[in-house]
Amino acid sequence: MEGVTAVLLLAWTLISPSSSGKAWPTHTVCRGGNLEVFYQSCDPLQDFGFSVDQCSKHLKSNLNIKLGFILREDIKELFLDIALFTKGSSILNFSYPICEEDLPKFSFCGRRKGEHIYYAGPINNPGLEILEGEYQVLLELYNENRATVACANATVICS
Amino acid sequence: MAPCASCFLLAVMFSASCKAITSSDQMCTEKEANKTYNCENLGLTEVPDTLPNTTEFLEFGFNLLPTIENTTFTRLVDLIFLDLTRCQINWVHEDAFQYQHQLDTIVLTGNPLIFMAETAFNGPKLLKHLFLIQTGISNLQFIPVYNLEKLESLHLGSNHISSIKFPENFPTQNLKVLDFQNNAIYYLSTEDMNALEKATNLSLNFNGNDIRGIEPGAFHSKSFQSLNFGGTLNLSVILKGLQNSTTQSLWLGTFDDIEDQDLTSAMFEGLCEMSVESINLQKHHFSDISSTTFRCFTQLQELDLTATHLKGLPSGIEGMNALKKLVLNVNNFDQLCQINAASFPSLIDLSIKGNVRTLDLGAGCLEKLEDLQKLDLSHNDIAASECCNLQLKNLAHLQYLNLSYNEPLGLQSQAFKECPRLEHLDLAFTHLHVKAPQSPFQNLHLLQVLNLSHCLLDTSNQHLLAGLVDLRHLNLQGNHFPDGSISKTNLLQPLSSLEVLILSSCDLLSIDKQAFQSLGKMSHVDLSYNSLTGNSIDAFSHLQGLYLNLAANSIHTVPPHLIPTLSQQSTINLSHNPLECTCSNIYFITWYKENLEKFEGLEETVCANPPSLRGVKLYDVKLSCGITALGIFFLIVFLLLIAILLIFSVKFLLRWKYQHI
Repeated sequence: MEGVTAVLLLAWTLISPSSSGKAWPTHTVCRGGNLEVFYQSCDPLQDFGFSVDQCSKHLKSNLNIKLGFILREDIKELFLDIALFTKGSSILNFSYPICEEDLPKFSFCGRRKGEHIYYAGPINNPGLEILEGEYQVLLELYNENRATVACANATVICS
Repeated sequence: MAPCASCFLLAVMFSASCKAITSSDQMCTEKEANKTYNCENLGLTEVPDTLPNTTEFLEFGFNLLPTIENTTFTRLVDLIFLDLTRCQINWVHEDAFQYQHQLDTIVLTGNPLIFMAETAFNGPKLLKHLFLIQTGISNLQFIPVYNLEKLESLHLGSNHISSIKFPENFPTQNLKVLDFQNNAIYYLSTEDMNALEKATNLSLNFNGNDIRGIEPGAFHSKSFQSLNFGGTLNLSVILKGLQNSTTQSLWLGTFDDIEDQDLTSAMFEGLCEMSVESINLQKHHFSDISSTTFRCFTQLQELDLTATHLKGLPSGIEGMNALKKLVLNVNNFDQLCQINAASFPSLIDLSIKGNVRTLDLGAGCLEKLEDLQKLDLSHNDIAASECCNLQLKNLAHLQYLNLSYNEPLGLQSQAFKECPRLEHLDLAFTHLHVKAPQSPFQNLHLLQVLNLSHCLLDTSNQHLLAGLVDLRHLNLQGNHFPDGSISKTNLLQPLSSLEVLILSSCDLLSIDKQAFQSLGKMSHVDLSYNSLTGNSIDAFSHLQGLYLNLAANSIHTVPPHLIPTLSQQSTINLSHNPLECTCSNIYFITWYKENLEKFEGLEETVCANPPSLRGVKLYDVKLSCGITALGIFFLIVFLLLIAILLIFSVKFLLRWKYQHI
């Protein structure tokens, strides 16, 4: 009897819709100059918009980006984690502070939960030559409580 | 019988997980029973019936409440904090919060408000904080004025406000924080400022407004707790406009995404005509920095020049005698002497962290700072083969020193002889080269906190921590011990005052029973992320009331004779251990279930063995280790057989005896 109940329950859990089942669409950041960049939001709560002013394998320094999303957390402190993979192995991991209490680098630092943010401006990156290949990039923005502010799974294809 | 039991267990587990899934779909999360609830992102159109009437703190953001009426929250009469962020609220009708007499904070951030009724905020007796960020307000008349007499903070950021002039009847007498971040304010007139006259100790935030003009005299004889003009393009407009004002803290920094003018000496003229205690100028460029640039900084107590592209400070700055705190983080110094510290003889607090280049400490560069108590030199790539007496020469009053996140430092005996009053020393993530048997911290009799995490120490040096008679807090995280064990004689022995000891991630396999014998005052021990077994608990038999963290170790069983040692401690964490849930561990499991209040991380304290119980929470485990029915049956059969055998053998013996008579 219990066995039957267990099977029924198992079937129900498998069939019933899960809240995090829906994936956000994949967007194109840019395509051209032998470079294609796609991203998908990995924050189950929301999608976000992102674009770069230039798309080339010779990545120039101090790129201008456009970024639009809704804040689900205060960002008095904001950190960026980047993990770079190719062919399933990790090449690079780093963490970078964007907003800190004693050094708010950008004008949007200190904005509050619920605000819609639109940022168009430079990001202070170093110049970079992208080698041929396909790369997976995981970007995560989070605040001082390790609460996710934004999350992106990106694919970079350089030919 | 056994398969049936596991079936039942499986069924219980599945039904539990189903319950959890359905509840997260529709129900609010309870953060504190009957008081604090989070109902965010649930698509709710009303207050759910499941919320108790006693709810005091309610996070209700990201739901759907186009209209708020006096019936919306009727039931929740005990509300103190109400967060309605981004609920697509268009209308706040009359007496919307009339039953919420205790309400002190209302958050309406990110709602497309069309209209708020005049009596919208009537009801709360002590409404102190109101958040109207990004609600589309273009005119301050939009905010209903009734019942705002007790208001202490008003947040109006990211709106379309161009004038800060409040209506005449707006109550400002209790306002302490007025936040106008990211609006469209270009001009501040005397009339605007006079409307705020009743407020005292006000903090005004104009960050992200491009203020191009201030009417002369607008700030005349007004005083503020803090003024923030972050990201303003023209600083001289601000400093001239603030004539004859008094401000504790003035924030004039800029940002990476804002193009700004170079700062010239002439721009600071206005500072001579006002009184300020603390100024922040982060991320600006100085065009012609010289000793006269700071001519008007004479009254200043705190100066923050973070990331101002400085290669040095000019020598011979006069009149900065009063400066108590100087922040020079994220600049481009090559050598510490380039800051020309002699200009700041009264300095108590100096911070130079995250220097863009490798910083050379030089010799005696800070020797004129006789009153210095706090020094932060972290994240600077500092390397020195012999540290730190020459570098920290004459800092006899230093109490706090941060040298964390630097390149390798060589320390000899009495390496901090020049700063005998040190109370707090942070060397985390800086590799230390100490030759045994040197004692680098020898003379630091007042040191209370020492952070040596990830310093790659030679822990076999018994004298490493000699002399630290007053040390209360020691962090040795990420260091390694010979053979992965702490033996009876070890480097911790001189630390008789130690209260907090952190030995997590040290790859420890064992701890000797008497390793901590001399540490009688410990109250907090963190041994998480090692490979310790249950026997290590013996090292704490002489201690009581301890917070003991043994998470993420290799504890399979806790031997019964060690249970008294655990029972005399106040809090224990045994989560993420491969715990044995068989009868070999029955004494511990039984005791654990009777003492759950002592344990932390209950949800992560699970069985690893036997495989059928893997992942089951220890408090859910039911073991019966007495004799089972089957066992009793076999025992009876066995006894019966013995008895029969006995009878037969007696019979046989007797027969044999009689046959031979």
